[in-house]
Amino acid sequence: MSRLRKYKPFARASAIDVMAYRFNIITWAIVTVAEVACLIFLWLAVYQSSEGGIDSSINGFTYKEMIVYVVLTTIFGFVTFNDDTVWFINRDIRQGTIGNFLIKPISYRGKFIASNIGAFLMMSLVFGIPLYAAGLGVLIGIGYLPVASIWDFIAHFLLFLVASVLACLLNGAISYIFGILCFYTTAAWGLNALKTTVIAFLSGTLLPIAFFPNIFREIVSYMPFAGMSQNPILILMMKYDYLECGKVILISFGWWVLLELIGKLLFNHAIKIVTVQGG
Amino acid sequence: MRYVKLYLTCIKRSMMSRLEYKKDSIISILSFLISNACSLGSIFFILQAIPSLKGYTPAEVGFFYGFSMLPIALDHLFSDEFWLVAYRRVQLGDMDRHFLRPVPVIFQMFAETFQPDGFGEIIVGVTMITICGLNLQTSVSFGAIFVLIIGAIFGAIIITSFKIALSSLAFIFKKSGPLLQIVYNFTIYAKYPIAIYPQAIRFILIFILPFGLFISLPVDTLLYGSYNPYLLSLIIVGAAIAFFALATLIWTLCARRYESTGS
Repeated sequence: MSRLRKYKPFARASAIDVMAYRFNIITWAIVTVAEVACLIFLWLAVYQSSEGGIDSSINGFTYKEMIVYVVLTTIFGFVTFNDDTVWFINRDIRQGTIGNFLIKPISYRGKFIASNIGAFLMMSLVFGIPLYAAGLGVLIGIGYLPVASIWDFIAHFLLFLVASVLACLLNGAISYIFGILCFYTTAAWGLNALKTTVIAFLSGTLLPIAFFPNIFREIVSYMPFAGMSQNPILILMMKYDYLECGKVILISFGWWVLLELIGKLLFNHAIKIVTVQGG
Repeated sequence: MRYVKLYLTCIKRSMMSRLEYKKDSIISILSFLISNACSLGSIFFILQAIPSLKGYTPAEVGFFYGFSMLPIALDHLFSDEFWLVAYRRVQLGDMDRHFLRPVPVIFQMFAETFQPDGFGEIIVGVTMITICGLNLQTSVSFGAIFVLIIGAIFGAIIITSFKIALSSLAFIFKKSGPLLQIVYNFTIYAKYPIAIYPQAIRFILIFILPFGLFISLPVDTLLYGSYNPYLLSLIIVGAAIAFFALATLIWTLCARRYESTGS
């Protein structure tokens, strides 16, 4: 326990930090509402154009479910992914501050995990609770998200929380790996953009993985990305039974351990070639 | 003529400073291409599940998507500096030197940066138009091509006008980046035919934020001959002139309010 305590200041600092950067929350809200509206119009047109009409189910999703999916994915992304890991690593290399971490008795990766969790908790408390409450309240209220029994919903919600934490950790681990690539190239901006794009596509944020063609879909659903957006949301929507929930959570956990290992190996290699510029 | 020479000199300098970060540029172009492949993939996967989108075949939707990139890319090439004006430069009081030079400030902004990233968008857009265009079932008329070219060029001028007008608000409010971001983000609506939107949104996309006017209507003209191409071209050019004139007027009025930070 005392070993963990030394990471607490990092979690606290990033929790405070994330609030400072969220001053442009109104901009985010307006841009996002406009984007979500655009997606809803697109999906409406898609379902109206489908063979069975608006009430048909495409790849296992009805129109209503798709709207729920789009709205929840948007809230989820905002609350869960708040990492500047790539930027921080890049800065530490550029400014030479990485040296500070190499001589201190804390793990470089541990620092980022603490920061990610701190930011995640703060975002969940300040924005997550009201946004999920409002979103779920409206979606359930207008009958877009049917709830069979309240206990079933609570159980799925708890599983969703577990999956969210894992999604946050997975995102952190992948960001860390991309960040370490900054040791080899100076292109932090491009790397970060690449990371964001790949995650958005393969995690089912752009559209559910069920829409991907056959083999591609099978592969992608076992990759770590599915656990970063689609699976938590489908748990929350109660599209998975408990067995499936357990399965996807286990897969995510396995991937997280594996990605941490890969990150560690990469770091051990990268640290040998680091040249601190004037540090 | 003097201005052309001045512009080229400035751009050469801007390009030279960009070449310092060659690897950065390559990775950012690569990530841009992958990002486009992902959004295209998404649209394609959606379209596979349905026979047509409100009557538009996948090739036609792809044509829309590709064409919508052209005016956006042209604007991107020439007017990237206005983002910095809106977000940072006025706030930092970094505009002083531009006001001291004997050349209009607005011209200096265009000359400050040339953003080669826009070429990536043009390449992707033209490729898509070509591939999807070959799969279209329509006979292409000269008028339709003409209105598409007018739409791309003058559409870019309209987008730039929005950037000029909104970024100049920073002279009054110190920072107008978020507002510019909000308005600019509506270009995502331009990627699809306006037929998929409700009446009210269509009205906005033609008369207020006219992305539909220079993207959707010209493409509809090509595909279905919906409008008279020459009349439509005239309207687009007229709109572009009006928007640009209004934007420079707003810029001039707002720029008078610029005050340095005194640092």
